Amino acid sequence: MRGIRAAGAVALVALTCELAPGALRVVAADLDAVEARGELVWAADQEGGGPHVFLDPKDPRRLTGFEVDLAELLASELGVRPRFQQGQWDRLPLLLDRSVDCVINGIELTPERERDYDCSRPYFAYALQLLARRDGPLDSFERLASPGPSGRWRVGVLTGSAAETVMRSRSDLEIDVIGYDGTIDSMEQVVSGVLDAAVMDDCIFNFYADRFAPLRAVGRPFAGGYYTIISSRETPALGRAVDEALGKIIADGRLKRIYDRWDLAGRQQILALRDASEIPVASRRSLRQLVASALPLLLASAGMTVLLSSAAFPLAILIGLSIAIGRLHGPAWLRPILAGYVEVVRGTPLMLQLYALFFLLPKIGLALPALVAAILGLAINYSAYESEIYRAGLKAVPTGQFEAAMSLGMTTWQTLRHVIIPQAVRLVMPPVTNDFIALFKDTSVCSAITVIELTKRYSVLALSTGRIVELAVVTALLYLAMSWPLSVLSRRFEASQEGPH
Amino acid sequence: MIEVVALSKNRGGKRVLEDLSLSLAEGGVTAVVGPSGGGKSTLLRCLNGLEPFDAGGILIAGHQLTPGGHPHALLERIRRDVGMVFQQFNLFPQMTALENVMLAPRVVSRLSAAEARSRAVGLLERVGLDGFAQARPATLSGGQQQRVAIARALAMQPRVILFDEPTSALDPAMSSEVLEVILDLARGGQTMVVVTHDHALAQRAATHVVELVAGRIQRQGSPAEVLIPAVGSG
Ligand SMILES: Nc1ncnc2c1ncn2[C@@H]1O[C@H](COP(=O)(O)OP(=O)(O)O)[C@@H](O)[C@H]1O
Ligand SMILES: [Mg+2]
Repeated sequence: MRGIRAAGAVALVALTCELAPGALRVVAADLDAVEARGELVWAADQEGGGPHVFLDPKDPRRLTGFEVDLAELLASELGVRPRFQQGQWDRLPLLLDRSVDCVINGIELTPERERDYDCSRPYFAYALQLLARRDGPLDSFERLASPGPSGRWRVGVLTGSAAETVMRSRSDLEIDVIGYDGTIDSMEQVVSGVLDAAVMDDCIFNFYADRFAPLRAVGRPFAGGYYTIISSRETPALGRAVDEALGKIIADGRLKRIYDRWDLAGRQQILALRDASEIPVASRRSLRQLVASALPLLLASAGMTVLLSSAAFPLAILIGLSIAIGRLHGPAWLRPILAGYVEVVRGTPLMLQLYALFFLLPKIGLALPALVAAILGLAINYSAYESEIYRAGLKAVPTGQFEAAMSLGMTTWQTLRHVIIPQAVRLVMPPVTNDFIALFKDTSVCSAITVIELTKRYSVLALSTGRIVELAVVTALLYLAMSWPLSVLSRRFEASQEGPH
Repeated sequence: MIEVVALSKNRGGKRVLEDLSLSLAEGGVTAVVGPSGGGKSTLLRCLNGLEPFDAGGILIAGHQLTPGGHPHALLERIRRDVGMVFQQFNLFPQMTALENVMLAPRVVSRLSAAEARSRAVGLLERVGLDGFAQARPATLSGGQQQRVAIARALAMQPRVILFDEPTSALDPAMSSEVLEVILDLARGGQTMVVVTHDHALAQRAATHVVELVAGRIQRQGSPAEVLIPAVGSG
């Protein structure tokens, strides 16, 4: 029996390895397909914000931004219409294998990207800017080298961006780098005091400076580079066409006009682009080197996954059991309130609850650290489900047990604590274990509020190395290695329960 | 010790106890007999406040019960003084026999573990189960389980014990084990109310017999008066 299961798992993993590369690669179309379609499909993250790609505040149905203008111009050069495809910023390159022709969204030109994708010539020169609250203690970049008033400086960056790479490599600074899914998120967290500072492309801060008046630029831009348009290596003709079109609109001044319109210092931009030189392509590492370098990072993040679930679940059970008891034995006025709590929590997505805890609470002066918000969010979300399981479990204990205990003079609470709850706990053990495994996997949602757990670490690593499938297998094996013992334990427990009764 | 006056109770618009009066002196044993559905269990459950009633009054072990609901605190005080033994035993399955007996003295009377244990050991011995302290209920026979249940009730040193058909779920051999324990308690002067179909039990243990038919007292008196003419009702 055990042998068959193990063999099944091996076969499954083998199958994943077989199928995944094909499944991920077949869809990209080359230039002739683009022309036949009459559309250039370009991807960006409108949540990434201005001035790149964002919804027009005056007409929220309309997408605008300098990259929207650029995409229009390039498409017309190719003789087709542009079509926008939304994607999560740090995952945009993944779309290239899925019917998206190119990504135009502040993608920084790096050796890794040149190795993994077809990169166009630069179309924009950016610089990294540190920003902080005007009334805060951080007044120069150099101050990051020694701890702040409350320990290490907490610095937000866009996950997967050059800002993240640069800041994470600065081991000389007393900083904790926290990755966000959007640059606006990190600015809001600086305003609310959760973060001490944020690092982002200067054009983003310039664009939002009015909206985030409490923030100021600290020091001069300290690092920089170029944005590139990326397309799949499997569509070389398309890549070449895009690059040539770009060259043409740089040369004839049309790109400069876009930058002038967006107040992006058009003349300096074009001068910088002319200076841009080729960056050498890094060599591809072997699978063993890849696993050796990625595994410690993945293991550390697996630790975070374990920490999240083992802290959140006991809390969820505690809250859930209290709710179940309150609904069955509490005062009449409390019961509808608890029922309402369960309905609201069950009826809204975990992601939204995490956002509320992390982004909304600071607005009423209650800034929770990301880890605390994550644990609390998971616990609250699962408490609703646990309460329903426990309610069923408590109701399944025969009334004779209640009457016997009460007839001895025990109070309702003593009866529950000594007689009913221990029996209910045994009854609900299998579904509760099941939920623990589910919560364990749900921890991946916490990356939305900057907690880097296993899945997030995987997606960052997969993107920076381009080894999507290989790392997926390693990550999946890590998850299995952690959840399998739980399943075995719960099956043992069930078997031992069937014995005496 | 027990004084029931003009007790009436309705359930779902139906009268299940009708103008019931009886009394029981300290050290007496009342057997309640009568056909199924006559209201015997309901009477018993009114006596320790497991169920409310609609009219009349109950005085039991010095506590007063009136129609309608009662505060939890009063019910808990009454039940400390009025033990109950059920037809289906209702032992706590996750605990050993000893733990079943120790639980209430520990959490209700707040005895130390050592005191509760020595009391429980003594009681298990008294009901003939000295060797079974560590056994779980599921591993015991019905007769043994009912004797643990009696020990559990005795552990609170109640002034009255109510039995609801204590031998009806048992075969004759096991019934007589339990009967011996009840007779032993009667000889020791324990005040008891025993609902039973078993006329032999009523005959041997009771000082007073009440026959309940359709919620009314049909007859009451000494076992000789009530039981001899009655032929196997129920
Ligand atoms: N939980 C209950 N719900 C509704 N009716 C009940 C319930 N228990 C007993 N009864 C009814 O109350 C009456 C008295 O029942 P009971 O006291 O159990 O009688 P006995 O113990 O003499 O057999 C019967 O008519 C029975 O059908
Ligand atoms: Mg009955």
